[in-house]
Amino acid sequence: MANEGSSSPISEKIYFLVWLELLLLTGATVSIAGMNLGRWGICIALLIAGIKSGLVLSYFMHLKYEKQLRLFKWMVPGVLVLLILFIGLTFFDVVLR
Amino acid sequence: MIEHKEKIGSKTGMWLFILSEILLFGGLFILYSVYRFKHPLSFHLAAGELNRPLGTLNTIFLITSSLTMAVSISSFKNGKGKSSLVFLAATLLLGFTFLAIKYFEWVEKIYHEIYPNSPRLLERDKGEVLFYGLYYSMTGLHALHVLVGLVVLLIMGVLMVKGKVNEVDFIPLENSGLYWHLVDIIWIFLFPLFYLIR
Repeated sequence: MANEGSSSPISEKIYFLVWLELLLLTGATVSIAGMNLGRWGICIALLIAGIKSGLVLSYFMHLKYEKQLRLFKWMVPGVLVLLILFIGLTFFDVVLR
Repeated sequence: MIEHKEKIGSKTGMWLFILSEILLFGGLFILYSVYRFKHPLSFHLAAGELNRPLGTLNTIFLITSSLTMAVSISSFKNGKGKSSLVFLAATLLLGFTFLAIKYFEWVEKIYHEIYPNSPRLLERDKGEVLFYGLYYSMTGLHALHVLVGLVVLLIMGVLMVKGKVNEVDFIPLENSGLYWHLVDIIWIFLFPLFYLIR
């Protein structure tokens, strides 16, 4: 009864594994930052941040298991695409001015 | 049935709020990316002065607080009210530690006379002034969100003890959890952009 409706229960083991992955990714991003990869460094850092936020959204925030709010599975990436579009358009202006 | 729809409505509202928060910080991220593009060297130099170990420690604290939050909610749903409260208290403690570390970082910078419009900072290159302006406004706005999150979670704890949030009506707790995870996600992006560029 308690679990009815909102989302299916996720076992605490999965939460713990997600937490471990988040810690490993944090370690990875810090050690990669120490390597001074220049321009690639920021790309890798943002990629890792993207993966980390994806983990939090899917598991901690239950988006992966959400049955009724299916729309939001698409809205979160939608908003992110919108942001990337904004940044892209801004750079179009900044670079070519 | 009506109650069921109310729950969906409440959660939908929370998600819409989260999306608007993402766009709020998104605007600041656009500013950051443009200024960084224009002043790559100054950003590089200024970021080197931030305390990377403390930033990493804070990331670990916030990620762990997200774990304890998620476990607190799942224990609550499984009827383990007591362990749920323990995990909620752990979340509060970790969030508070995050703020305390952030406070010391800021105090250290201000002690070295680096704060927006300080004479020492204005002597420096324009890019560094912009970097610290963004640093203070973005981490400040984020810290404000952590503070609000802590107050909300504290209220949830009181409501749980009083039985106002219970196994039938736990949506407020779930929504507070969503907010707390959002704060975590924002930090996941702030951390590499400010602490890890050198």
